[in-house]
Amino acid sequence: MHDAAVRVRGLRMAYGPVQVLNGVDLDLRRGEVFTLLGPNGAGKTTLVEILEGFRTGWSGEVEVLGENPARAGDAWRARLGVVMQSWRDHPRWRVRDLVAHVAAHYDDPHDVDELLAALGLTEAARNRAGVLSGGQRRRLDVALGIVGRPEVLFLDEPTTGFDPEARREFHLLIERLAGEEGLTVLLTTHDLAEAERLSERIAVLVAGRMVTCGSPAELARAVQVPSLVRWEDGEVETADPSGVAWDLHQRYGGPVPGLEIRRPTLEESYLDLIEETRAARETATVGGTR
Amino acid sequence: MNTTTLGLRRGWTEQLNLWSDRKELLNALAGTVGTYVILVLFIGSANVPGTSVSMAAFMTPGFLAFAVFATGLTALPMLIAADREEGTLMRARTLPGGIRVYLTGRAVTTLLTIVLNAALVLLVAVPLAGVGAPATPARWFTLVWVLVLGALAVVPIGAMIGSLVSGPKAAAAMLALPAMLLMLISGVMFPLESMPGVVRGIAQVFPLYWQGLGLRAVFLPDSVLAAELGHSWPLGRAAAVLGAWAVGGMVLAPWLLRRVRGR
Repeated sequence: MHDAAVRVRGLRMAYGPVQVLNGVDLDLRRGEVFTLLGPNGAGKTTLVEILEGFRTGWSGEVEVLGENPARAGDAWRARLGVVMQSWRDHPRWRVRDLVAHVAAHYDDPHDVDELLAALGLTEAARNRAGVLSGGQRRRLDVALGIVGRPEVLFLDEPTTGFDPEARREFHLLIERLAGEEGLTVLLTTHDLAEAERLSERIAVLVAGRMVTCGSPAELARAVQVPSLVRWEDGEVETADPSGVAWDLHQRYGGPVPGLEIRRPTLEESYLDLIEETRAARETATVGGTR
Repeated sequence: MNTTTLGLRRGWTEQLNLWSDRKELLNALAGTVGTYVILVLFIGSANVPGTSVSMAAFMTPGFLAFAVFATGLTALPMLIAADREEGTLMRARTLPGGIRVYLTGRAVTTLLTIVLNAALVLLVAVPLAGVGAPATPARWFTLVWVLVLGALAVVPIGAMIGSLVSGPKAAAAMLALPAMLLMLISGVMFPLESMPGVVRGIAQVFPLYWQGLGLRAVFLPDSVLAAELGHSWPLGRAAAVLGAWAVGGMVLAPWLLRRVRGR
């Protein structure tokens, strides 16, 4: 069996004169939960839709489950689960009817009632999809995405508009699916905490480029901004806060008055990274090097 | 389950969901039957020139043909455009065989709507226009194939249009005028004999003319042939033209739908 669930090399895509993806490389191992992180407009959705086979006109190499999404057929599609942004389709259908209908497209689907129970939709089973709450609707979308027992699940900003509790429930669900079913999950989000919580690896996409890719800890290291060391008589930004504190101790010959060390959070690092990339890009554009 | 069976079941569920919305159901029915009644009451009393058939009777098959035509080419595109806006079409694209299932489902809902409309119009037509049930088994057979082939001739094209326009309102705005024009020149309400030759020629390219002709052959006595082009019922030709539209549309529509973005 092919080991990579997704393999992307040098992917480029433009809408007219606007370059949306600028040479993206990406590898997803089977069974991993992978998060694509980036600000709005970074190209996350475009990338995912190319992987799902819904966009053409790109260049580069793309393989999903060993096939080119632009040319793959129904047998390939049956192995994918797709949860797109803000779906509100089939508003007149009852929840159970819709899940059963979608299940019938597959050879070996989940038991519909078991799935509804697992997603906490049993009580809403007779309701029409159009009257569900935001969280219920999203769980229905996930049910429709996984009912065919996919090997790869694409989740495009699945928790946008969730309240904290719905978000937590959703995270538990994804962890369960990845754990029990060995599902490969590609998730996009602009919420760093969500990425950290759910995935083994995170890639950061900014302005159509993959800026960094690795575990949350690696990401933190890669994007580390300096720590701030502050004491009564001054402050300094440094990559080595411990060393600075030691020097200060030496200088004061004892406890440093009002010593405070602030390490940046992962979120600050991430925001900083986005800012830097943007600034670099703008400079390059202004300088006419592109 | 294969895509055809699944599509049939999809269409049935879709139709039940629609019928369970009473307002939509009433709108759909009152629109068709109401228009028919008004037309018959206002212009139905005279006879078709040169025949003993009343305009009301002449118009009834034509109206049926137009109801089929409008369901396929106006109502269906609007439904599909709405499905696209809601993401239903996009959902279909994410499923294996989803587009075929979706299209089969829409074909089923369209056929069910057509059958219901036809039944209601005929129910009103018997007392109001003096139209009787088809006289022979052969005519019943003609009724069935003309309705089915006529529907199949317009459903794929309606699906195609629905997938190209930006939304249901755009679909309505774009389609209302051409549909009306085609109705006027296709001899469904007035005998085509009174039209200039070029117009007759144009009308005969489109499925509406042939469907109207087929249905007149079912419901009207042969004495009305005096008002028909060529004074005969060229049913073979009707089948050929309707069939060509059906096949052409069925080849083109899925191909196009796959290429259009679903959102």
